[in-house]
Amino acid sequence: MMDKLKLGVFELTDCGGCALNILFLYEKLFDLLEFYEITEFHMATSLSEENHYDVALVTGTVSTQRDLNLLKEARNHSEYLIALGTCATHGSVQGSVELPIREKLKAVYGDDGNPMRALDSKPVVEYVAVDFALPGCPYDKNEVYQVLMDIAKGIEPVRKDYPVCLECKLNEYECVLVKKGLPCLGPITYGGCNAACIRSGLGCIGCRGPLPGEVNPASEYEILKDLGYDDEYIIRKFKTFARWEP
Amino acid sequence: MIIELREFTRVEGNGKAEIVIEDGEVKDVRLKIIEGPRFFELLTLGRHYYDVPDLEARICAICYLSHSVASVLGIERAFGVEVPEEIALIRELGLIGELLESHALHLYLLVAPDVFGYPDAIRMATKHGELVKEGLALKAFGNRIRVMVGGREIHGINVKPGGFGRYPTVEELERVEKESEALLRLARRAVRLFAQLDPYGAQAKHFVATDGYLWGEKLVSDEEGAFHYTERIEERSLVYSFAKQSLYKGEIFFVGALPRLLLKSEMLTPAAKRLFEEHREKLETGYVSYNNLAQAIELVYSLERANEIAKTLLDRGIEGENVPVEPREGEGIGYVEAPRGVLIHHYRIDANGNVAYSNIITPTALNHAMMEASLLEEARKLYGEAEERAMIGRLEETVRAFDPCISCSVHLVKL
Ligand code: SF4
Ligand code: SF4
Repeated sequence: MMDKLKLGVFELTDCGGCALNILFLYEKLFDLLEFYEITEFHMATSLSEENHYDVALVTGTVSTQRDLNLLKEARNHSEYLIALGTCATHGSVQGSVELPIREKLKAVYGDDGNPMRALDSKPVVEYVAVDFALPGCPYDKNEVYQVLMDIAKGIEPVRKDYPVCLECKLNEYECVLVKKGLPCLGPITYGGCNAACIRSGLGCIGCRGPLPGEVNPASEYEILKDLGYDDEYIIRKFKTFARWEP
Repeated sequence: MIIELREFTRVEGNGKAEIVIEDGEVKDVRLKIIEGPRFFELLTLGRHYYDVPDLEARICAICYLSHSVASVLGIERAFGVEVPEEIALIRELGLIGELLESHALHLYLLVAPDVFGYPDAIRMATKHGELVKEGLALKAFGNRIRVMVGGREIHGINVKPGGFGRYPTVEELERVEKESEALLRLARRAVRLFAQLDPYGAQAKHFVATDGYLWGEKLVSDEEGAFHYTERIEERSLVYSFAKQSLYKGEIFFVGALPRLLLKSEMLTPAAKRLFEEHREKLETGYVSYNNLAQAIELVYSLERANEIAKTLLDRGIEGENVPVEPREGEGIGYVEAPRGVLIHHYRIDANGNVAYSNIITPTALNHAMMEASLLEEARKLYGEAEERAMIGRLEETVRAFDPCISCSVHLVKL
């Protein structure tokens, strides 16, 4: 049996969901452990003994100097680094609070100082080069399983290239945008969640970020305007998970 | 001299502590929440109410549904909306799913390794595989309920002001009824295991909880009369932590499973109540470490209650009708018992349905002072007596007893 790959999970500032989702793999986690040894995963283990990782998963945004140091540490000591989750790939919700950090701190903590060295929340990809980016708030857990399996087998993981809309069609879900007039970002959002929210009869809020390439945010914008949503509402919606210009 | 503890492991989020030693004695302990701030209150300002619960859910993954429900309750109260029993029961079922998922994660994967002397559950599984599997079974069941009610395992958007996007089906409820019964045996075993542990940490003197078992209109405490948080709870900022600290009438207090049991034991289901009575004396000492025993008893409660709710809903049949929500200017507070304690969402909403003010106080923020007090107590007991490593290990366990959710504590507050 060949040596197992060393896997590190590094959590920057976030909700914990992208790290937790790994534990939610249940039996599949044990399948992964046939190929990987977890040597850093601070939510799940008190061990922390390695300083070299074959694969590093980084979740969360860089929101403090500590986060930035940890991210550099992870990058410098890993072969293959995956920005995992929309926080890491696009900044997610905390990245959408657009005020200078000092003003934010003042509004919430009521002082002008910044003793803990907070930074404006930015995605991991703005600070270091990543080998793979897997968005989702949180990402679909089967996707991370597939990506890690591919890497273990020496295959470069593939990026999906279709919007959430396609998954609605495959599941034969009724279109909530056309049929109910709900503000659904499915047509321009990166697919891979199996249209989870449309299954509930609700509109996609864009948690996986924009589908790169061919999509047409301008036409989505027009559709929402025609449905009677005002400019500010639409723009805020576009900007919630990824800083997306219509 | 200052002893720096490294970052806590097997807790959710990022935090650490410092022990201040002066003249050979432990002078002070500082619990530092170093997780970066996420500014959720600012995020929701000016947002249309309909979108707010989905954003607030992102505060915490382990208890996202508690945040969705607290947010929805705050919004509905601001608009004067009342929901029928069916919707209330389904929400409660969702919260129970979350309690199961979160307590199982906490007890079996994060705390049990301390009990058996392993660094984590994966390594513990080599010798205690059965136990880990039992924990995972409970957790997976809780998560299935979260998917059913919340829409996804993590950050679903199904819970809405006035009702749900999608209602549970008969088949799903039948499954809940069956599985909750089958799992009860495992939960009882957890109670036996956690009842054996010796107490540590500080003894809490004040307890606070919501007036209903899993949510309420107001808060209750060990004193007379229900109250709103603004009447007795105060928050203050600290220079060394991104989490604020709260006090109850100027004193340290405790929220969580243990306070729930102590303040609301008469609301428990039959088997849970019997277990509570059996261990009452221990629990009443108020040691924070008995929070883990209380959590195990709540596993039993949750399974029994899930069974009751599924039966009730199956008997009456599901109508699946949402209540219409008309935005108007108003103010409302949602109180929910997240798995780790009282959670408060307070909003003011303008005539267009946009949020004008929001204040969110999470259980870990409420417990911050109690955690520091417990660390101080343990450090005083162990400093000079135990090896530094052993002392640090025990201090970490003390933090873990709270079931802290550090990401959620990072806040948050008045504008
Ligand atoms: S991307 Fe979403 S689920 Fe993942 S850590 Fe960030 S907020 Fe949590
Ligand atoms: S439907 Fe949209 S909001 Fe829902 S999980 Fe998929 S990408 Fe995220």
